[in-house]
Amino acid sequence: MKILVLVKQVPDTSEVKFNENGVMIREGLQSILNVFDQFAVEEALRIREKYGGEVSVMTLAPEQAKSALQKCLALGADKAYHISDRAFGGSDTLATSYALSLAIKKVGEFDLIMAGNQATDGDTGHIGPQVAQFLGLPHVSYVEKVESIDGDKALVKSLMEDGYRMVEVKLPALFACIPPTTFEYSNPSMSGIIKAKNKPYIWFKADDIDGDKSRFGLNGSPTRVLKMYPPPKRSRGEIFTGDYHEAVKKIIDVLKEKKVIS
Amino acid sequence: MLDFTFSEEQDMIRESVRDFAQKKIAPIAMEMEKTKQIPEDVIQGMADLGLIAPTVSTKYGGQGFDAVTAGIIAEELSRADPTGSIPVFYLVQASWGHVFDKYGTEEAKQEILPNVTKGKWFLGIATTESDAGSDVLGTRTTIKKEGDKYVVNGEKMYISGVREAYTRGGGHITIAKQFPELGAKGMTMFYLPLQSKGIIPTYVDDLGREGISTGGFTIDNVTIPKHYIVGQEGKGFYIVHEGYEYARGLIAVICASAGLKSLERGEKYLKERKAFGMPLAKFEALQFRLAEHYTKLSFLRLGSYWALWTYDREGQKKATRFEVSKAIAMAKMFASEWSTQAIDEVMQWQGAFGYTRECVDQAAWRAIRSFSWAEGSKEIMRVIVSRELLGKEYTSYK
Amino acid sequence: MISDYKGILVIGEIYDGKIRPVTFQLITKARELADTLNTSLSTVLIGNNINEMAKEPIYYGADKVYVLDNKMFDPYIAEVYSAVLAKFIDKLKPEIVLIPATHTGREYGPRIAASLQTGMTADCTDLAIKNGRFIQIRPAYGGNIMGEIFTPNHRPQIATVRPNVFKARDPDTSRNGEVIKEEPDFSNVNLRTVIKEIVKTTVTGAKKIDEAKVIVSGGRGVGSKEGFELLRQLADLLGGAVGASRVAVDLGWMPKSAQVGQSGITVSPDLYIACGISGTIQHIVGMKDSKIIVAINKDPNAPIFNIADFGIVGDLHEIISVFIEELKKVLNK
Repeated sequence: MKILVLVKQVPDTSEVKFNENGVMIREGLQSILNVFDQFAVEEALRIREKYGGEVSVMTLAPEQAKSALQKCLALGADKAYHISDRAFGGSDTLATSYALSLAIKKVGEFDLIMAGNQATDGDTGHIGPQVAQFLGLPHVSYVEKVESIDGDKALVKSLMEDGYRMVEVKLPALFACIPPTTFEYSNPSMSGIIKAKNKPYIWFKADDIDGDKSRFGLNGSPTRVLKMYPPPKRSRGEIFTGDYHEAVKKIIDVLKEKKVIS
Repeated sequence: MLDFTFSEEQDMIRESVRDFAQKKIAPIAMEMEKTKQIPEDVIQGMADLGLIAPTVSTKYGGQGFDAVTAGIIAEELSRADPTGSIPVFYLVQASWGHVFDKYGTEEAKQEILPNVTKGKWFLGIATTESDAGSDVLGTRTTIKKEGDKYVVNGEKMYISGVREAYTRGGGHITIAKQFPELGAKGMTMFYLPLQSKGIIPTYVDDLGREGISTGGFTIDNVTIPKHYIVGQEGKGFYIVHEGYEYARGLIAVICASAGLKSLERGEKYLKERKAFGMPLAKFEALQFRLAEHYTKLSFLRLGSYWALWTYDREGQKKATRFEVSKAIAMAKMFASEWSTQAIDEVMQWQGAFGYTRECVDQAAWRAIRSFSWAEGSKEIMRVIVSRELLGKEYTSYK
Repeated sequence: MISDYKGILVIGEIYDGKIRPVTFQLITKARELADTLNTSLSTVLIGNNINEMAKEPIYYGADKVYVLDNKMFDPYIAEVYSAVLAKFIDKLKPEIVLIPATHTGREYGPRIAASLQTGMTADCTDLAIKNGRFIQIRPAYGGNIMGEIFTPNHRPQIATVRPNVFKARDPDTSRNGEVIKEEPDFSNVNLRTVIKEIVKTTVTGAKKIDEAKVIVSGGRGVGSKEGFELLRQLADLLGGAVGASRVAVDLGWMPKSAQVGQSGITVSPDLYIACGISGTIQHIVGMKDSKIIVAINKDPNAPIFNIADFGIVGDLHEIISVFIEELKKVLNK
């Protein structure tokens, strides 16, 4: 099976700091492999173990995203494709998905394409569906597990808000994946890290992928960011550390006042 | 050309170890003070990642890592485990695994090292005796060749990992007198399996590193096969210093790391704790002490990596034995002192709470205090450096 | 030409044989936008056997309701919905399209944008018309930053909106509008997907959290399935529903339908009591717009306390018992 996983490097927003004006400080934030994508990579590796084949990873990002792709190689992926060019600067999700789909066509045919359901910075969830659309492939979002692959049919578990669906899709297809919270992310082993540096790492520039250049980068992006600002902050209220009865009584008083309870 | 950056690979190694240590070690570290052992799943996790004796060549299940890379792993483990248990578990096996790999027989290495790197057996070092620490030549344990085997008699004391090797399997690199009349040229190094008939372990209740045992053992006519001899007969005194030096280099990094981590905890505390209407962090006296300790420990850290780098250069024939001995002794000379001083300061900031066992820093202080003598006392470090500077003829004793 | 595109279209979602409430929330907001732009508001309903409900969107503000009724639309399959809706939108040419940011909307919606090669903004938490521009407001970086997005040169401008971000107006059955039966265009459908099984994990009879005015929610701190019994008692007293964090759902203590958070349901009740929930961004994003937040956790440093109006540090089972006791006194029960 030839599997491709689309990955993204994102700022580590689990330990975000704010300045005095409540604005998120972006400098000095560590860059990490998007956790949803890491899950997709690990699922892909599990599929490779079960059914054989090759797992490639691909990103469209500035050069510094190399460490994210290296991590995927260290986890066990076989090949990395890094699409990087100034021409892609300012891309929104449509421009990114378009360029990715061109790069994928350039690289070759895949039986299965996987991606994290969303990235923790943008949270749009667009890339998976849009790449699938551009490639003319069926796709499923919110995939928590690839249950089985039988010939050219894959059975996946897709989460709904109030349950899940078991969806059977004819390959080639794209799955946008979301891990269960109990998922334990792997750390690359020492031997994995050593092996990573000898695995193929292929760079693509804008000229290397055949397509409509006017649809790359900022010019190819229908959406524009007008401005960014800190969210309205809910401030920390009153935290009681003493007697439970006192605390509860005080809270109930407020709830009565605000007519939440009558 | 001076380059103070690590390689891409080393950065990846650091990130992976740090992430593992944060998830698996940090949450259970203080528990080891009570359970007195490293949890099995942590040992297994370390083995799976390839962190146990990574200095051993890949042929025997290691990673073939150099000293600087070994130092990176030590640094991250030390950050996550304030009790020092896992750093000791790591540094002993990394240092002496390297020596065993370099000087051991093929047969012994095939037999023992894969079990060590898999986390099944423990590999330790046992040179210290009740009456001989710094004075290695004061060793009273003897080893005698008898036909095809060797017989060992004596005792060792204040040894790390006695319980680990005795119960799980494995043994200790040991040094004993084979030809007493030859002095330094009469000592032989060998591997001593702790489950051998004739070994009786005892345990010591020491102040720290609770997750790994400290103890001793009597050696009563223990027989070992000849393939357990490490290096040539009579060369033990010289080979053992290579192991001590590796360990000292890793210890220096561990001290710097634990001290800096303690300062990190302290910094947070200074910002949160208020007195006289303002956070402690606003009091200049405390700011200055933070800055001083941070500076010393940061230099200690850099110096440790420089010493480990020098150690690697000997292997590349770019540094002499003496340059390595000196560099390593310089790195370890102040390591425990500077680090325990910083940690003591952080305890002081926390006042009465710093004096309770709930305070993490007191565990770190007890752990790092041991490094003022472990694998070579701070006094011996001064002997080494002055000897390298002035010349052997000025050493006041043989 | 941009000027060819007129009007606002809301894509309505049919779920469990009914129009999903988020549709009415979007229509209510879209009506405001349409009035500001002085343009018309349409809704398209896509499903099977849905003629009976075709008038409902009108009561919430739609001028026209297009009905795409076909058995191919049940069960929902992304490839089918995206292809048919893309064709429909291309024919109708609305200037703005709003799609519910439900799991389904987030699945088929982006395909439509790609197919029409136009701009799409996901998970908008507010929409506005400023200086004649359609402004789409959304969080990024896990909710740590807000962004204002617009689509200057492409049409339609597509935005997905999370449920419970807007409130639906009360339906006005006297409103008039047009219901138009639309023939679905399946020419772009290349069906390769089969739904094998649909499993709902709702507990029958349990109050649904997305409509509840009070939610008592539990996380890892609750400790077990049985531990949720106390939360249920408190919720009943307050006339509310029981919610859960993702961890509690993954551990099997509560059904998926109770999950509050980024990959669950977004709620904005009058009162949200978070019990034993640490407060990861993924959870907070799903409940931070609650009017009053009360947090109970044994860890004084739990991030949930940073957004709580009131917090109690301590053992949650004890505290909830005290709550129940004191509430009973107040409610004379």
